[in-house]
Amino acid sequence: MDQVAVSSGEVKSSKRNVPAAVRLQYIVIKMGDEQYGIDIRYVDNIVRMQNITRVPKVQAYLKGVINLRGEVIPVVSLRLKMGLPADEYTKNTRIIILKTETGNLGIIVDEVREVVTLGEESIEKMAHEPKDSKASFVNGIGKNGGELISLLDRNAITLESNV
Amino acid sequence: MDVSQYLEIFLDETKEHLQNLNTQILDLEADSENMDTINEIFRAAHSLKGMAGTMGYKRMQNLTHDMENVFSEVRNGNIKVQPEMIDVLFQCLDALEEYTNNIQQTADEGTNDNEPLIKMLNDILNKESGKKEEAPAAAEKPQEASAGGAEGDKKWNEIALDDSQIHVIEEAKKGGQKVYGLNVTIQESCILKAARAFLVFKAIEENGEIIVSNPSAQDVEDEKFDRDFTLIVISELELNDVIKLATDVSEIESVVGEQLVLENTKNYRPLEEEEPAEAAAEAEEKAKPVVVEEKKAQQTTTAPAAKSGGNDKKPASGKPVVNRTVRVDIEKLDVLMNLVSELIIAKNSLVSASGLEQNNSSGFNEQIEYLESVTTNLHESVMKVRMVPIESVVNKFPRMIRDLSKTLNKKMELYMTGEETELDRTVVDEIGDPLMHLLRNSADHGLEDAELRKQRGKNPVGSIFLDAYQDGNNVVIEVRDDGNGIDTEAVKQKAIERGTITAEQAENMSEKEIIDLLFLPSFSTAKKVTDVSGRGVGLDVVKSKIESLSGEVEVKSKLGEGSTWTIRLPLTLAIIQTLMVVVGGEKYAISLGSIQTIENVMASDIKLVENKEVINLRGMVIPLIRMNELLDIESKNTDDSLIVVIVKKGDKTAGLIVDDLIGQQEIVIKSLGSYIKQCKFISGATILGDGEVALILDANALL
Repeated sequence: MDQVAVSSGEVKSSKRNVPAAVRLQYIVIKMGDEQYGIDIRYVDNIVRMQNITRVPKVQAYLKGVINLRGEVIPVVSLRLKMGLPADEYTKNTRIIILKTETGNLGIIVDEVREVVTLGEESIEKMAHEPKDSKASFVNGIGKNGGELISLLDRNAITLESNV
Repeated sequence: MDVSQYLEIFLDETKEHLQNLNTQILDLEADSENMDTINEIFRAAHSLKGMAGTMGYKRMQNLTHDMENVFSEVRNGNIKVQPEMIDVLFQCLDALEEYTNNIQQTADEGTNDNEPLIKMLNDILNKESGKKEEAPAAAEKPQEASAGGAEGDKKWNEIALDDSQIHVIEEAKKGGQKVYGLNVTIQESCILKAARAFLVFKAIEENGEIIVSNPSAQDVEDEKFDRDFTLIVISELELNDVIKLATDVSEIESVVGEQLVLENTKNYRPLEEEEPAEAAAEAEEKAKPVVVEEKKAQQTTTAPAAKSGGNDKKPASGKPVVNRTVRVDIEKLDVLMNLVSELIIAKNSLVSASGLEQNNSSGFNEQIEYLESVTTNLHESVMKVRMVPIESVVNKFPRMIRDLSKTLNKKMELYMTGEETELDRTVVDEIGDPLMHLLRNSADHGLEDAELRKQRGKNPVGSIFLDAYQDGNNVVIEVRDDGNGIDTEAVKQKAIERGTITAEQAENMSEKEIIDLLFLPSFSTAKKVTDVSGRGVGLDVVKSKIESLSGEVEVKSKLGEGSTWTIRLPLTLAIIQTLMVVVGGEKYAISLGSIQTIENVMASDIKLVENKEVINLRGMVIPLIRMNELLDIESKNTDDSLIVVIVKKGDKTAGLIVDDLIGQQEIVIKSLGSYIKQCKFISGATILGDGEVALILDANALL
């Protein structure tokens, strides 16, 4: 299977079922040894790693553009953006297509693990710590059983000036 | 009453009428006695009033009503056209345009009553003929009444029914339903007749079934009817209820009906063959008296205007014959465009597949050729749908020049040719502002005042020309004036003053380079800032706008004789012919339009001038750009022989050194999105046949 489409209808229905406590769904990704979560509402699609066309004279983290069903989509390396060592593409590497105000944007992640549903009570909001370049992309910590998931701030990822 | 679905039509037609009024009033100013013009104005104003009324825009209606009164008096010869009156009328048009813009944005006309304008209009009326104001309005009423009364006479009996219809009617009667004949007359002042008729159809069909309509439902929809139409309806409701359904629709003048007696209908011959020819003749016969009636009625209105010439047509009778265009939603076109894009991508993949397997049968190649011709045709026809004449943009310029002539106190004329030249819709929408800038520029800076012109032996009335024409794959729009031309010395001084260039630099600059300084941001040579121009915002905006449309702008000027601004725009923006090249293993597309030649150059032929690489090509020294260096990639070409693509923009040329050539390809331009901004010489991307993305090099940006 080439692509995993994520239906947004699922999210809506889960909201309807539990109107009292807000429950959010996150896609859990792996970057290095750490786990991160991306709010499923912002995810359009998850595709396998494919040939990326390099665009010259742009920031290093901007890996280039890909063709997603006839649409040209810029792809960002989340590792480079967050100051981690450069990507090593494996069979687990995926591109997550995020929906942003200015169109879709792909981010390269090491691995996509699962989708978790977190209640509001198991999410700990976090203020930005400008010193730590990694932490500025995280706006909360989610507790899923015994595991901790750093919840990524979509705006921080998609913002250009963040390097 | 919900009229929102007609809002678009209303806006389009209003704009058309306003534009028409602008043009006609300009004509009127030139020739105040021309009866044709006055009649045309009257008609347009009347239509506007009616349309505004239909849509419930009261303020707009009031203003147009008063304008119409003035025109009507002019038409009757009671008022002579005065220059002040023209000014007031233009102000009214501006006010109407404001209403229209408000409506377009908020679906509401706004709250400006424009009382001063209405007062001015009434002053014009009262000055000349206070009491006659009522005359035309009064004349309309009896006519409406007489027309309505005369036409309501059991027309349903004249409808030629065919066998199946008779059968349906008989079945319905057996089933206890009632069959009625109805004749609906729409008010004369109604503009969207088809819309009203449609509402009547809809109301009746909700409670019954329309068996026959005369004229046919299709004709009614297309407004191919006078003011009334006849229906045969099956319904369970009582007659009065059915009539009420129809009369509830606004602007319906009268509805007459009765229970249909089949035997009374003209062609009633139970279970007999129908002769279509006869039926047609019958319908024609029936139509005739109505036409006569209309003419008669019309003569009563025109009677008071008899001395003003008998060539008056009935105001607002349906749609204007001229400019019958199909309005297409641009979004739908975009979808179509995308489909074509896909098709081309599919074609490209076929082409690349055929390249892989040489031993394929000729049938496969035939298929590709067929597909290619289909896509080319489809592309062309879709492009044509997207093309609109630049007329819609340039039409407002004569009025602008007239106003400028007044504010600047200079006499000038605008001559336009090639208004019918067609351009992509998106380009046409964008081109208005740059053109306006250039025209204003010519009017303000270019043309001298009358005194100076006389001294120089020129016609005291300055001329500005706007010429548009197609030139190959480009459309050229020229703005030319016979004014002073660009004073390069003044530009030079100004540039030195501002520190843009140094005195030494200025010495060495060619005339063309100096003129190009004008396109720098905040550069203006006007001695004083006027309303019109001189703020230094202009030419740089013009340039960037044109360039964003993939076009270019050039100036030619001769001091004392005038200047010519040439805008060159590509016919289309979405699909282009390109040359695919390889640089360091990556594929890039270069627009064929900017490529002049492709050369094989020996590395030893490269010379250094000012530490830059150049080649001498048939007497021309051309600077070279190593694409692999520009694109930050390792070149894979180790040969001594280099492939150089010579690109040209205006007078500038450059040679792009690439690794390899793939060939010519038609590509669909895709945007890189707003996320990638940095790259100036990449103008977009395209998707190749194998699904990979290739970037498009903007040769213009490299020069």
